[in-house]
Amino acid sequence: MEILDRLVNVALIAATLRTTAPILLVALGGSFTTKAGIFNIGLEGQMLVGAFFAVLGSIWTGSALAGVACGVAAALVFALVFAVLVVSFKANEVVVGLALNILAGGMTISLMKAIFGTRGSIVGHGIVGLPKVQLPGARDLLGSWAPLISGFTPLVYVAFIAVPLLVLCYNRTRLGLYIRVVGEKPEAAEALGISITRVRYIASLLCGLLAGLAGAHLSLGYITMFTENMSSGRGFMAVAILIFSNGDPLKVLAGCLLFGFADAFSLRLQTFGYPSYLVLTVPYVVALVALFALSYRARPRVIAETLESMRKLLSVDKNAEPGGKSPS
Amino acid sequence: MMKDQLRAVSGQIIAIGVALLMGAIIILMVGESPVRVFMTLLRGAFGDQEKIAGTLLQTTPILICGVAACIGLRGGMFNVGIEGQLFLGGFAAAWVGFAMPLPAGIHTLAALALAVVAGAAWVAIPAYFRARYNTNEVVSTILSNYVAVLLTSYFTIFLFKRPGGWSETPPILPTSYLPEIFTFSRLNWGLVIGLMLAVGAALVFRYTKWGYSVTMVGSAPKFAEYGGVNVKRQGFMVLLLSGAVGGLAGGVETLGVHHRFMEGFAPGFGFDGLIAALLANGSPVATIFTALFFGALRNGSLLLEVDTSASREIITVIQALIILSVSAQVLVRKRGDSRAGERRWKF
Repeated sequence: MEILDRLVNVALIAATLRTTAPILLVALGGSFTTKAGIFNIGLEGQMLVGAFFAVLGSIWTGSALAGVACGVAAALVFALVFAVLVVSFKANEVVVGLALNILAGGMTISLMKAIFGTRGSIVGHGIVGLPKVQLPGARDLLGSWAPLISGFTPLVYVAFIAVPLLVLCYNRTRLGLYIRVVGEKPEAAEALGISITRVRYIASLLCGLLAGLAGAHLSLGYITMFTENMSSGRGFMAVAILIFSNGDPLKVLAGCLLFGFADAFSLRLQTFGYPSYLVLTVPYVVALVALFALSYRARPRVIAETLESMRKLLSVDKNAEPGGKSPS
Repeated sequence: MMKDQLRAVSGQIIAIGVALLMGAIIILMVGESPVRVFMTLLRGAFGDQEKIAGTLLQTTPILICGVAACIGLRGGMFNVGIEGQLFLGGFAAAWVGFAMPLPAGIHTLAALALAVVAGAAWVAIPAYFRARYNTNEVVSTILSNYVAVLLTSYFTIFLFKRPGGWSETPPILPTSYLPEIFTFSRLNWGLVIGLMLAVGAALVFRYTKWGYSVTMVGSAPKFAEYGGVNVKRQGFMVLLLSGAVGGLAGGVETLGVHHRFMEGFAPGFGFDGLIAALLANGSPVATIFTALFFGALRNGSLLLEVDTSASREIITVIQALIILSVSAQVLVRKRGDSRAGERRWKF
């Protein structure tokens, strides 16, 4: 009985790691844009095109790796369009992000119909999925706990390894520092001669890279197929995590593990015969509750931030527009 | 002022032209002839009187959702949850329709009233947290869409499924129908409700103190606060009202078109409405025309699926391209004033 309990727990934790990986990848991508001061609601769309083109690339070349590259390339194109409109043209980031999400949904379905003549999903057609990585020695070392570190598809490892890498990037590299300065104190960045435009472009593209990987993982690793709108709100959940984690990689990881657990747990509930429609709402409800609870907890900081930004606004206004802006 | 407006309108039209051009390229990419696709769309939207009525039928929910989005945008709020409010409103209206026998007329009004309440209730929590704790309303309303769609599916399939039916509620009683305008189409008085709402919203924004203060909060919150507006309360009310109108859209769709609630009911109308409102720059009257445009695209796309190899989602692509090119081009025009364009919903 004890052994059974433990096995179930191990399986649940392993399932949690598996469901965490896609949302972790996309949220870490969003961490770059969040840190650079861009609100990127377009993660969902980047992930979706990543998933679609990964499947396409995998079918065309017969190689999963080339598929991943195709997915990343497509997501990068979306990230570039986002950056051009938001950074260079200073268009509204919410409008552009939402429009790109809608574009991604319509485009993938249209292309699916044009290429495969079907609606709904692409299964088979020679899609090559990513192989499962069996770490040698895991079994000997951990025994029945081996599934915790072994037997995942490669991008799961990439996702978890990316967390410390991002921490290093923000704390130890010049690029990370620049990204943080541009996001937190753009005027300081300007005074230091850092090109805000260039840093935000780089952050957007890094975000596209990770969002593309997240998409590729979804359609080639997590499962081996593409379905209409298969990102199913993971990009939006990632944005919710980014809001309350402020883009810090470790907090992002914590948030993603929470969602991964909610996801895995809801999948498990389904097998116990709870109505699937209710069970499927669990991850979204968890995201909403976390968002509300943490913004409630963050309220003093909000006030401090507001004061800070007001002070900033006033001082900037005094310098830039001596007359003040007349309400139009 | 007239000249400004003319320039703004011509700007939108140029942007639409650019977007159609890009759309044409994508249509070529999926292996169809752009001319054929656009002609089919036109024929499908305005080919004969039934097609025109069908276009107006598709316009109705987009228009009402568009007005809902306009109310939010005016007050500086992105209500991206109209889709979810529409679903709940649609379900609430259907429930009154099939479960509560009432005299004709009153029945319709009661169903619409509950739809309004459902829409407002669904947005109430995100609205409260947005107003009180500044919780980002874009994310919270988007996420609540997913919950709304799943929840209404659960209600439909597990609680109120029509015996022997296929994931739909029992049909609503004829006493609750919104009357049809013509005999040859399902076009109904919902369109009139939509038009009245649009004009009414425009009048409120233009001539009432409340409408003025909403616009003020949306465009210059600090100024509005200085002028004595309770910005938090106002933000809450704006989102609530926007959600109420979103719920109404669902009610109209149920009572006027489907006469029942079913899974996958009215997909995408909430987002179409938001896009229509954005293209109209938050003006409810202009939304009438942008909603008509999107309604025509939608109705035309039905024929597209029959007559060409393109899928009807190609119109979603065109809509997204329009918004992208509008967001880019108007800012090119405004580039001199770079700071003004930042972090505002207006293009």
